[in-house]
Formats: sequence, C-alpha cells, structure tokens
Amino acid sequence: MILVIFVIFGISIIMIFPTISEAQSEQKTFVTHSGAVVKTSGEILDPLYTVSSVEFDPEQYLRNFEYGRLSVSETGQTIRDYTIIAEDDKIQEISPGIFYNVWTFNGTVPGPTIRATEGDIVRVHFINNGSKEHTIHFHGIHPAGMDGVFEPIGGNGGQFIYEFEAGPVGVHPYHCHVMPLEEHIVHGLYGVFIVDPKEKRPPADEMVMVLNGLDTDFDTENNFYAVNTIPFYYQHHPIQINTNELIRVYVVNMVEFDPINNLHLHGNLYRYYPTGTDLIPSFYTDMITLSQTERGIMEFEYEYPGKYLFHAHKVEFSEKGWVGIFLVKDNPDKTSQKVEYGT
Amino acid sequence: MELSNNSSKVKVIASGLIPFAFVIIMMAYIFGPGADLLDLGVPLPEITIEKVDFHDSEIQATVRNTGPIPVEIAMADVNDRIQPAAVEPDRFIERFESALVRIPFEWNEAEPYIIGITIGDGTRFEKEIEAAAPALEPTIDLAIFFAIIGTYVGIIPVMIGLLWLPFIKKISKQKFHFFLALTAGLLFFLAIDSIEEAVEVSNESLAGSFNGILLITTVIVLSFLGLFYSGNKLVSRVNSSKLAKPVAIALMISIGIGLHNFGEGLAIGASVGLGSVAFSTFLIVGFALHNTTEGIAIAAPMSRGKLMIGKLAAMGMIAGSPAIFGAWLGGFVYSPFTSIIFLSIGAGAIFQVIIVILKWIRDEGDSTLSSASVASGFAFGMLVMYLTSILI
Repeated sequence: MILVIFVIFGISIIMIFPTISEAQSEQKTFVTHSGAVVKTSGEILDPLYTVSSVEFDPEQYLRNFEYGRLSVSETGQTIRDYTIIAEDDKIQEISPGIFYNVWTFNGTVPGPTIRATEGDIVRVHFINNGSKEHTIHFHGIHPAGMDGVFEPIGGNGGQFIYEFEAGPVGVHPYHCHVMPLEEHIVHGLYGVFIVDPKEKRPPADEMVMVLNGLDTDFDTENNFYAVNTIPFYYQHHPIQINTNELIRVYVVNMVEFDPINNLHLHGNLYRYYPTGTDLIPSFYTDMITLSQTERGIMEFEYEYPGKYLFHAHKVEFSEKGWVGIFLVKDNPDKTSQKVEYGT
Repeated sequence: MELSNNSSKVKVIASGLIPFAFVIIMMAYIFGPGADLLDLGVPLPEITIEKVDFHDSEIQATVRNTGPIPVEIAMADVNDRIQPAAVEPDRFIERFESALVRIPFEWNEAEPYIIGITIGDGTRFEKEIEAAAPALEPTIDLAIFFAIIGTYVGIIPVMIGLLWLPFIKKISKQKFHFFLALTAGLLFFLAIDSIEEAVEVSNESLAGSFNGILLITTVIVLSFLGLFYSGNKLVSRVNSSKLAKPVAIALMISIGIGLHNFGEGLAIGASVGLGSVAFSTFLIVGFALHNTTEGIAIAAPMSRGKLMIGKLAAMGMIAGSPAIFGAWLGGFVYSPFTSIIFLSIGAGAIFQVIIVILKWIRDEGDSTLSSASVASGFAFGMLVMYLTSILI
C-alpha cells in the first residue's frame, strides 16, 4: 500500500519535474502586433513581420505590365502577341514555412498582367505544360470560339491561340475555365487583363492588386487572404508612393468560397471606376465591396506623408493576410497641384 | 549423454530462433531499402493539440506529432485569426515528439477559444476550449486547497463509511453476505464508471494513434492480472502469518478504491484547472456522498476479524488519500495519457477485488453465489451507486 502511494507520488514528481527544470537556453525576442515583447528559447512563427524571401515577388508583380510583342496587321491594326504557359506541379512557399501546390500561368499566381489598347488585336499563344487540361477564359468581348470554355487544351504540351480584339476598355480578369472550375481557379490559374482607352488615361503611378485567397487544407474555406498572393506581404514591404502624385490601382477580386471582399483605404478616399469601363468615376469613397471577379479602378493622391493601411474591412480577411501599407513619401518635385480658389 | 543433451538444447534454441530469423528477413524484404512493395499512397501528417493553458497575456498549446511522418509547425492562430507565436524547443517535431506553442494574446476569462496550428503542408488542426481560465500555478496555497478538497472527497467520506463497521459486525451470516455482495456491486459500478471516464478522456483528448480503447483494455487486463497474481500470493502468505484473511481482502479493496479515488481526484483537479468551477462543485459534493459507500466496502470484510482500529484507519487513508494526489496531478500537470492509464489501472484493480470478494462468499458456503442475499446485495449496491452518481 505504501508502495502504491510512493509510485503515485513518484510519477507525479516526474510529471511536474520537466516543466520546472526546463533549461533556459539562448533567448530570442519578438514583438507582437499589440507591441508586447516576448522572449523565447525556441523558434519564432511569424507570418506577419518576418521578412521572408518568397519565390513569387509581389513587389515586382505590383507594377509589372506585359504589353506583348508588337506588330502591325495589313489593315493597320496593332497586334500584340503574348505567350502564356500553364503548369500545375509547382510547390511554392506561400507563407513562411507553408507550402502549397500552385497552378500557374507563366510560373506565378496571379499570372502576368496583360495590357493592350482598345481595338488592338490580342493574340495569346497558350501552351499547357500541366498534367491536366487547362484553358484561358478572358472576361470581355470576343467570339464564342475564343471563350476558353468548350475547347479544353490537353496537358503535356497542348496548344491554342486565343485571338480577339481588345475590348471593352477597363480591367478584366482571365482564368482557366476547366471543370471542376473552383479547383482550377483557387489553385491560382488567373490573372489580370487591362484594356486602355485609345485616348489614354492621365499619367499615374499604376499598380495591380489581385485580391485572392488560399485554401491550403482543401476544406473549401480560405486559410489565407492576400493582395497578390503572399499574405501580409505589403505590410512588411510597404508600397512606396509619393505625395501629390496620382495613384491608379487596378483591383480584381479573385477570392473564392467567401461571397464578398472589400477594400478600405486609410487616411484618404478614392475615385472608383467600376470595371474601369467608364472614364468618369462612379463613387468617391474609402470602401468598396467586391463580389467574385468584380473589379475596378481606384484613383487617389495622398496629401500628407506617412504610413497608411489599406485592408479588407471584413476584418477576418485582414487578420489572415489581406492587409498592406502605403508608405507615402514627401514629394519635393511636385508641390500641391490643387487649384487655389479665390485667386 | 552430456553431448547429446547439449546438442538437443542447441536444437531447441535454434528451433526457437529460426522463425524469428524468417520474420526479420520478411520485414527487411518488405520495409528495407529499395523495397517498394508497400509504397502505397501518401502518408498524411497529423498533430494533436493535447493541452491549452491560459497564462498572463499568453496562450500556450502543447502539440504532439501523432502521425506517421515528421511535421513542421508553421503557424498559430486564435479563433482562426493568424497570430505571431513562438514554438519551443523548435518547429520540427518527430513522431510522438511534442512542442510548446506560445501565442501572445490578450484573452478574456470565461470566453471560448479555438486554438489552431497550421503545419508545413498547409493543414490546420484545432482544439476548442469551452471557457478560458488562468492556468493553475503550482503554489503552496493551491496545493493546500487541493489537499483539503481531496480530504473532503476521499478521506472523510471513506472514514464515515467505515463507521458502519459495528453495525455490520453484529448481523447474521446471510446479512453479512448481503453486505459483501453489496460491496461487490458498488465496486462493479465504480469499475464501469472508471472505464467510461477513461473512454471519454480518450475520445476528447487522446490522438487516434494511441488506440485509446485498446490502451484502456490492455491496461485494465494488465492491472487485473498483476493484482490477481500478487493478491493470491498475499492471501496464501497471510494464511501462514498472523495477518488475517479479511485484513488482506480489505487491503486489496482499499488499494482498488484508492486507485479509483485517484481518478476522481484527477477529474476534480482537471475541472478546476479548466475553469469549470460550477462543474467541480458538483463533482466534489457528488464524489463525497458517493465515496461514503466505499467505506462500507472496506468495513464489510474487516467486520469478521478482530476490531483493529489502527489498521482500519490506515485502510481508509489508502483508499481516500489518493484523491489528494489525483487533484494535484489533475490540476497542475494534467495529461490525458496519464489520466487514462490511472483510470484503467483503477478499473483493473476493482475487477480483481470483485473476484476476491465473490470467492470469499463462496468459500464461506454460498457455493453457487445465487442466494437471495448475494443477488439482492449486488443489485442494491449497483442501484445505490447509480442514484448517488446522479448527483455528480
């Protein structure tokens, strides 16, 4: 009987002991987003503030536009040739330590931003190097045979040329349209197609923001949300812009599973052109709600330098990666362009 | 002669080893390098969040790799919202290895939380906490508090139960058999109760790879066999010593009940630790009433020997005091695995005691165990336990 008590007591000592004697080895510190400083002898798991080197560079994607290989047709129309290659076997680190099988157009999610002027002939040479069938379905106006729905392109080298006249003016998504459609989209087969008006928009610091989500555990709920794929990226790599300079953002919502997404800008309001099809803004606001593939153009200038957040005001999304910062720098070249009233 | 003896020994050994050699060869063939026979499918990683503790501005999750392959912990979240965190000792955990994930978080008391851990392949695992409560720090005050609760639940009720001894002493053999059978009934109920509790813990917190139900079964059988063997040794030794058989049986009953009360202590300590204060109040009241009947179980066999108050008190302590240890363990360092082990040992011990009691009744003359007193005693024991258990 005493033995039993000793055994019980001994085991309880053993259970308590390791928690007390835990060696305090080398300490690391990190700061939480509420400002608390935490010390640890282990490793830090921080998708928010650590600068991670990622295969896909959202910094580069942000202001990169593909204008195609230019030529002129017999009738004098501008022809723009693009090559887009689909793959579906890439494993990419999409957040520090988390690896996901992305399906890509030209190796990235989102695919390249294709840009043309209204009335140009767009010729997309599509090569499917994936293992599954894929297509490219452009939103916009084109013949039925160029819609990328009823002509699935076989994998391992299947080819197709999508050819149509660029239009209408605006910002449009393109994406794979092979069933099961949701799977092909959420794995990353999408990108942005911009059609500029012939008379051109005023010069601006232009950028593309694809709002997307990543369902890394395939439970039809997004584990991450982001602007341009990498969660929290523009929070730890703020987008640098200048005061009193026109900023133009082409925004496309590609989030699946959740019915809506939105974009809220801090310290400012933007002029909003839904789908970019009109040259006169429809709204002047700091909050726009976007459904699936809903998109538009936002224009604004910052008057005061400093750091300004932009994020989904569906706060769940922003706490899972859809948040970024504009770092506004004082622009010495351009003083206020505002008209002085009363002069 | 000697030579042939030796060679036959070698033959015996060899014939014993040859099948083993074949097993090893077979294993090497199936699993060895270059063998792709069993290269079926993709092994899925699995982790289990065994425990979540709420500390000052910090939530701590104990994570164990319970899958077939090593995993890398990549991210932590609270209520499905990503949080920066630290993982100690490091984020790579081998099979069955565990790590502590520390999530700085201003949590609110009594609110429910879901703690999620995402691993390298993007799979997220979660554990739901019904109500956050500060983790119990092993302070002297709290240790004393648990000791007092353990005394109320374990020692005092058992001691009160023992006060029935003079009554049981004065009754006839039939009535005595009734009380012995009643004891067996009480114990049978306790054993089932322990198993149920162990299964519950296993379902809630133990990873599938531990095979919870089989673990419980195995530990019960091992505990039963171990005590059955040593119990028989004890009885056969007391036959030739001055220690009387009733004392030996009462001692075994006390040990069995003690292990059971240890489990009750664990339940109380764990529920205080998890912050379900209302629940633990019911547990304490219920166990206290319930445990009074355990005193009868010890008193019944002792009533046929000489009145030995010292021994009786010692047995009360053996049966009751483990509740204190249980409360400490459950409150300070709760682990589902150890709880299941202790509950199962308790159940095995109780089954052994039931066998001993029934054997005793049979030795005393009721050879078929079918007299009215035995049947009604057993039934009454179960019924009393059931009714008092409703209070918990």
